[in-house]
Amino acid sequence: MSLNDKLKDLRKNGVNEAKRAEKLQELNDLRVNLLGKKGPITKALRGMKGVPAEERPEIGTLANNVKKDIQLAIEEKMDELNKQMIAKKLEEETIDVTLPAQSRNIGTRHILKQTIEDIEEFFIGLGYRVDAGHEVEEDHYNFERLNIPKNHPARDMQDTFYLTDELLMRTQTSAQEGRDMESHDFSKGPLKVISPGVVYRRDDDDATHSHQFHQIEGLVVDKNVSMADLKGTLEALCRHVFGPNREIRFRPSYFPFTEPSVEVDVSCFNCNGEGCRICKYTGWIEVLGAGLSHPNVLEMSGIDSTVYSGIAFGLGPERFAMLKYGITDIRDFYLNDVRFLEQFKGVN
Amino acid sequence: MKISLSWLKEYIPVTHTVEEIANKVSLTGIESSPVKLGEGLDKLVVGHITSIKPHPDSDHLNICTVDVGEDEDIQIVCGAPNVADGQYVIVARHGAHLPEGNRIKRGKIRGVESNGMICGLDEIGVPEKYVPEAYHNGIYVFPEAEKTGANALELLGLTDEMVDLDITPNRADTLGMNGAAWEIGATYDEKPEIKKATIDESKVVKSSDVTAEVNDEKLVPDFLLRELKGVTVGESPLWMQRRLWNQNIQPVNNIIDSANYVMIEYGQPIQAYDLDKLQENKVVVRNAKSGEKFTLEDDTEKVLSHNDLIVASGSQILGIAGVAGSINARVTKDTKNVLLESAVFDGASVRKSAQRHDLRGDASNRFEKGVDNGNVSESLVRASQLVDELAKVESISEEIVGSKTEAKPTVIEGSISHINHLMGLSLSSDEIMNIFDRLGFEADLNGDKVTVTIPTRRFDMSIEADLIEEVIRIYGYENLKGTLPAGMETKGGYSAKREFSNKLRNVLLGQGLDEVINFALLSKEEVNDFNIKDTNLTKLLHPMTEDHEYLRTSLIPGLINNVAYNQARNNDDIAIFEQSRIFDRSQGEDRPNEVEYISGAISGNVTNDSWNTTSKEVDFYDVKGIVEELLSFTNAKAHFEYIATNQISNLHPGQSAFITADGQRVGYIGKLHPSYQSDHNVNDTFVFELNVDELFDLNKRRVQSQPAPKYPSVSRDLAILVEKDIESGQIVNDIFANGGKYLIDANIFDLYQGSHVKPGHKSLGYHLVFQNPNDTLTDETVEKAFDVIKDSLVQKFNVEIR
Repeated sequence: MSLNDKLKDLRKNGVNEAKRAEKLQELNDLRVNLLGKKGPITKALRGMKGVPAEERPEIGTLANNVKKDIQLAIEEKMDELNKQMIAKKLEEETIDVTLPAQSRNIGTRHILKQTIEDIEEFFIGLGYRVDAGHEVEEDHYNFERLNIPKNHPARDMQDTFYLTDELLMRTQTSAQEGRDMESHDFSKGPLKVISPGVVYRRDDDDATHSHQFHQIEGLVVDKNVSMADLKGTLEALCRHVFGPNREIRFRPSYFPFTEPSVEVDVSCFNCNGEGCRICKYTGWIEVLGAGLSHPNVLEMSGIDSTVYSGIAFGLGPERFAMLKYGITDIRDFYLNDVRFLEQFKGVN
Repeated sequence: MKISLSWLKEYIPVTHTVEEIANKVSLTGIESSPVKLGEGLDKLVVGHITSIKPHPDSDHLNICTVDVGEDEDIQIVCGAPNVADGQYVIVARHGAHLPEGNRIKRGKIRGVESNGMICGLDEIGVPEKYVPEAYHNGIYVFPEAEKTGANALELLGLTDEMVDLDITPNRADTLGMNGAAWEIGATYDEKPEIKKATIDESKVVKSSDVTAEVNDEKLVPDFLLRELKGVTVGESPLWMQRRLWNQNIQPVNNIIDSANYVMIEYGQPIQAYDLDKLQENKVVVRNAKSGEKFTLEDDTEKVLSHNDLIVASGSQILGIAGVAGSINARVTKDTKNVLLESAVFDGASVRKSAQRHDLRGDASNRFEKGVDNGNVSESLVRASQLVDELAKVESISEEIVGSKTEAKPTVIEGSISHINHLMGLSLSSDEIMNIFDRLGFEADLNGDKVTVTIPTRRFDMSIEADLIEEVIRIYGYENLKGTLPAGMETKGGYSAKREFSNKLRNVLLGQGLDEVINFALLSKEEVNDFNIKDTNLTKLLHPMTEDHEYLRTSLIPGLINNVAYNQARNNDDIAIFEQSRIFDRSQGEDRPNEVEYISGAISGNVTNDSWNTTSKEVDFYDVKGIVEELLSFTNAKAHFEYIATNQISNLHPGQSAFITADGQRVGYIGKLHPSYQSDHNVNDTFVFELNVDELFDLNKRRVQSQPAPKYPSVSRDLAILVEKDIESGQIVNDIFANGGKYLIDANIFDLYQGSHVKPGHKSLGYHLVFQNPNDTLTDETVEKAFDVIKDSLVQKFNVEIR
């Protein structure tokens, strides 16, 4: 057999063997065996001596091509086997993604705190300080300074838990008004403050009453605040809490510490004012009470009511949350059933 | 008070529907709702009983022939004891609808055909207590002949449409038709026509039998009487009765009804007495003697307090002033001579007496909130006029005065610009003056200054702010455009402490604890359960229930209630926290300090059984891990330690610790005591409680940045055998005390107690890490430090190095 034929034969066998291989190891062996220094191609080229000089370059080229072809065949096959292996591994590693996760729970903020903090953040953005005040308060601040002297009929509206004749569990966060007013330095700008917190009333607990609940009081005192400012502020608040398309309306009302006093209704977020069960078919929902600070209240804090005026408002986070989420029993806030609490995960 | 539109029409023209009026009045003045009587009722007509005979098969039924305005009379079987021939009665025809879905159908009663029903007032919508006594347990009989077949509901006022005013305490001026007409009139720009009360001057006599005396004119600024002699007591006409029962007042007789009717007209309560029953010829208003007794008109006895203001004649008590009359001088059908009283009593005194004796009523409600003292005299005239009209009086005395205070209108000065300024409006003075006029206020304008004279009926008005309210509500809040306060910029935000506690809350939320809010008022038992500091308890003076009597000194009792509540509902795995205040009262102080705490309770599994995990119950170290992470967020410049304690009685004595910061207690952690757990129906539960205020004060660490280490660390493992009672914390503290400046970490990786070590001992393994931030550590340096550590442990704790 001529050298030429021998090389072609080697190529044919080598490529065929590579194609037949089933394992990477076989291909590695094949490479070493066929293409190594001790392999048949190298060996065959030793027979070059017997080849006429003019044919030698041709044989040399052929030998290199044979090596390349075998190399290529081995590499192709290796590639193929690798792909098969990966495919097999992937298949073996396939899992059921519908199986349950390893839970990594973050706790849920109480819905009342979420409601309160949402409102706090709104007012902080408008430049209001947050001042929580005292839960045990003096009769003086809770009533007298709010223009509710002893024997005032308005004391009937809020039956009070007294600790002593002069100390009580505050019945309203408005109790903080006097303290905020008297401690404010008006040379440094207006007083803008909200007072969120717990208040107490001598009420029997039922679906709509709780002896402990929350309020947020808001107060601005400055030289130029007006009823229009009150309306604009509460309009913005109601839109923040109940949605951008809400309207509000004022109705005259009475609180001893504001004059004029108003109750504030928001257009029903459920029916857009068309009338539904939530708004009792009126299109409006009562959400808070407000007014201009009564001149007596300003004067008792040493503020000249002919120069300064105040807007004040008070709202109930329980009521806000009950309206917004359709909660029907105020006691649910304080029973703390985790199934109740956790449904409000991330609402605010 | 409910304002009947048909009555209101006597004052102002009424053209709008009751719904429209209620809505408009709500927006401009007083919260109102529409009331429509008789809705859904029909086929109720006037019938005239033309004959009556007993039912053959009954001892109490009667068979009546009734003319109902049709060609043929109808037959109705009636069981009422007061049914009689010739009566004009209410007939529910076949097919009639009555309240509460009741329907009348033709049928047979004990074999006799009955074509409808003869009704009592309570059967067609008048609550029984407002039905005149004579018609209780029976049918109603019209006092006079009416047209048969006419709409009975209409005649009885039971189709009235009314605006129900839900007044705020300052608007008592609308607790009478006159005041309500002014208010609704102002809303619609209609001035009410109010008729002046007059009496037949020919009947007025100068002399009177009685005199009046008031002990304290401050409490009784007005006390006026009139004697009306020779009255004929009887039933009031229907027009008056129907207005009364629609006001939830029971018609009694023409004297008492007249008095009540004047109260509804003028808002001024009127009291009527039987003049002949007075013990003496003198009526005195004085304070009761403590323990003095008297009997109400309904025969119940009341024991009086010296704070009760009473009307008396000698030792005979006629009533608690402004609250309730007694049985002593009650006007009855036999009364011949009447004494009428019109007065103003101190609101607070009336309120307290009414509360004390649980006797709040129409009169006391008005005195409490205030009555128009410009009307006291006229109301008495009006009552006399009505009594004369209905009971044919022979003579009327002149006013008998116990006390009388001149009614002065209030004058308020204001400025047009200031009023506009506070409203945020720019109304012209004409617009503002027009509003005052609509309200019936006289106003004088002098440049910017306006002087407004307020009629006595509006006793709620006293300052310029009141004028502002009147102007803006009549102008209409809906016309006010919202703005935001435009003052100097202010920086809003939380206090530093609130930011701090928010941060701590976020850590616990991140650790998977749900936030709860509990009541601050606890029972005596609860408040003592975790009063770790043994603080003085703070108690309510008048608690509602024993469950909420004391101010809490710990948040743990509330959390335990939550765990129990949840576990009773199969929510077994609970991890909750509360951040709130406790009340810590110092000896000798009345006022407790309000201290922020943050506390948690964890019970049940921290990991549950699943397809790839097995469950693990919470243990001390899970909770300690949460607390440690919390403390690491306090930014405290302090060293925290866990000091084992058996001093907290409701915690497990072997699994609880005080948490200290540089030796000062800031809280505690532990497992609940097994007996406490079983008493409170909770599974194994771990709790912690930390004083946020104290932690906040430690919030002083200032971070000076260090570059991340560039050189490798070197570690050594240390295995020791040590007596069982020695705490790992002691070992670790000692390792750090002796480990030199390169020791950065010492972690326990093994703890073994059991048969493979010496009895009374335990084997501990620690992984120590050394690092020099500036250089590579040599083995030699580490070895040296390691030896010092080991030597110290051997010396101090007698450990065996393994």
